[in-house]
Amino acid sequence: MKIDRRQLVVLGAAGAAGALGPPLRGAAAPASPKAAGDKLTAREASWYKKLEEGRVECQLCPQKCTVADMERGMCGNRENRGGTYYTLVWGRACAVHVDPIEKKPFFHVMPGEQALSFSTAGCNVECKFCQNWEISQFRPEQVEAYDLPPRDLVAAAKRTGARLTAATYGEPVVFWEYVRDVAAAANAAGLKPTVVSNGFIQEEALREVAPSLAAIKVDLKGFREKYYEEQIRGKLEPVLKTLQVVQELGVWLEIVVLLVPTLNDSAEEIRDLSQWVRKNLGPDVPVHFTRFHPTYRLTDLPPTPIATLERSWDIGRQAGLNYVYLGNVPGHPGENTVCPGCGEILIRRVGFRVIANTLVDGACPKCQRKIPGVWK
Amino acid sequence: MRRLTRRELALMLGAGALAGTRRAGASTPVVLPGVVGVAEAEARHGQPLSREQAGRAVAGAVAAAVGAESGAEAAKSLFAPSDTVGIKVNCLAGKALSPRVELVEALVDLIAGAGVDRRKIIVFDRSSRELEKAGFTIHPHGSPYRCVGTDNDYDRLPSSSGAIGSCFARIVSTECTALVSFGVVKDHDLAGVSAGMKNWYGVIHNPNKYHQNGCDPYIADVARHPFIRDKLRLTVLDGVVAQCHGGPAYRPGATFDLGVVAASTDPVAADLWAWQVIEAERKRRGMPTLEEAGRPVRFVATAAAEGLGVGDPDRLKVVSA
Repeated sequence: MKIDRRQLVVLGAAGAAGALGPPLRGAAAPASPKAAGDKLTAREASWYKKLEEGRVECQLCPQKCTVADMERGMCGNRENRGGTYYTLVWGRACAVHVDPIEKKPFFHVMPGEQALSFSTAGCNVECKFCQNWEISQFRPEQVEAYDLPPRDLVAAAKRTGARLTAATYGEPVVFWEYVRDVAAAANAAGLKPTVVSNGFIQEEALREVAPSLAAIKVDLKGFREKYYEEQIRGKLEPVLKTLQVVQELGVWLEIVVLLVPTLNDSAEEIRDLSQWVRKNLGPDVPVHFTRFHPTYRLTDLPPTPIATLERSWDIGRQAGLNYVYLGNVPGHPGENTVCPGCGEILIRRVGFRVIANTLVDGACPKCQRKIPGVWK
Repeated sequence: MRRLTRRELALMLGAGALAGTRRAGASTPVVLPGVVGVAEAEARHGQPLSREQAGRAVAGAVAAAVGAESGAEAAKSLFAPSDTVGIKVNCLAGKALSPRVELVEALVDLIAGAGVDRRKIIVFDRSSRELEKAGFTIHPHGSPYRCVGTDNDYDRLPSSSGAIGSCFARIVSTECTALVSFGVVKDHDLAGVSAGMKNWYGVIHNPNKYHQNGCDPYIADVARHPFIRDKLRLTVLDGVVAQCHGGPAYRPGATFDLGVVAASTDPVAADLWAWQVIEAERKRRGMPTLEEAGRPVRFVATAAAEGLGVGDPDRLKVVSA
């Protein structure tokens, strides 16, 4: 197949070729962004060191790729050209949509608001169940993209009425320079920049950018190194470190755990995970247990049984977590935000829609307990 | 003891004698495990081969690889007129260290001589741009043969082979019934050697995912995917100029005039031979072995263990044309 414009809009409702799809074609929208074309624009990467004989070592993620001249890192979007390492995706967005913030999912960040969501091609791991593999597992020249530098992206967000930006779909770590510069532009424009990531990043790069973000959602894909090695081609330990650093920096954090039948969904593993979160991050970090659907290289497993999700929901709460959610099960009570003090339902959701939000200044209207989050 | 020239060394590596493996052309594609045919190619670095030289070198190497009396006979034992033949060239390093156009065209002539329609002989690499940079002219319609880049024409869905999961170029998965890997003899910064098997990274959409651990077991996993394993007829290596260090990019200071073309129906043996040539040159220069340099060539043993060919140096048989 020729990877065509369909790839660009595969992640959202936008249908027509050209521009960025209907969500960005507001009445006030000026001319659409330009297609980026076949030629890749290289910008020197911010996190790497030069080695002998023209090699470089990437210092962005824990893969620590050593890359020879003319080769790329595992992400596929960083290239060594004569001993200088370049990102090939700065300002080159291949998926751009306006989504409800609940789709990320953030449940404690400005409920019901829209996020201008964007991605580039490439990823630093290879999850066998990747839902966005048609962009994350491809190199930038294989996927159509738009020339969308940060200020244009933020301008587009403003036009659509989105109050947040979200680096998402693919893996923001591999376009971290773009994330950094979008965050700066978003903050300057009064928008809240957010990131949806696998958390597989080196600490220095994380610390440089995270403080400029309003919220980070991390996919904690399991709680066993073996699972990370075999299903993700990553490592668990650096992700746990990321969670701790984000928490330490005071950036709002939510965690998603995709439960894959038979691979990471045992009660013991979920208990270990929940207890680790409770002990190391505290009881108020929202944890979303979400439902797997067969895709990419894991097509021989069934969707996660609802019973497994509900068991995990119970385990999380028994471990002392105040905000445990279920995802990809529209209409389930596990989508609602409930006051841990009095049990009042504070935010009622169906899928990505907020049906009712009774929070008053970020507090329960019944018992006045403060509910942590980014509410404004 | 007389010091051997590089070319003599290349011809002798692998213990020289071929005993009892020559056979006449077969009705099914010939496979001679462990046999590498090597023919002299007189050009020196920076100089083109004449059409005659190129034809002689390729025909000689291929004939020696299959134990045939001539290149034409060899081609008939490898390809049928009904075949669509894909010749994957490795043009990553540009014109200075890619398969020479004249050698590739000599192989095209040989295959056409076996009755394969020239429109069904496809010289390809992952992009048209890289082909052109290496000196090839894009011929999308097959005159005098097809020459095209994959240019993102991949299968819609990935398929797995061992640890890899990739969308394959449709030229490989769908169009071709027979394949040739046409590589060069060069060092690779991670795999140790990039010759015939590593060349197949250029037919998957995500080669960047598979460079860890010296590309092992990934090179073998790509090569044993049925799309390749079941269609591969021949590996040809342009060893007119080889490179013993600093690959996969071109490094002028690390190249040397090996002056040969090699061919084998055994992809593992071909890479084993290339590995030995590179190690020999490194030794001659006083350089550490690839293993000592931190890039042991693991994939050869893995591929051999997967049954793709001969990885045992004692079983390598180099036949001079």
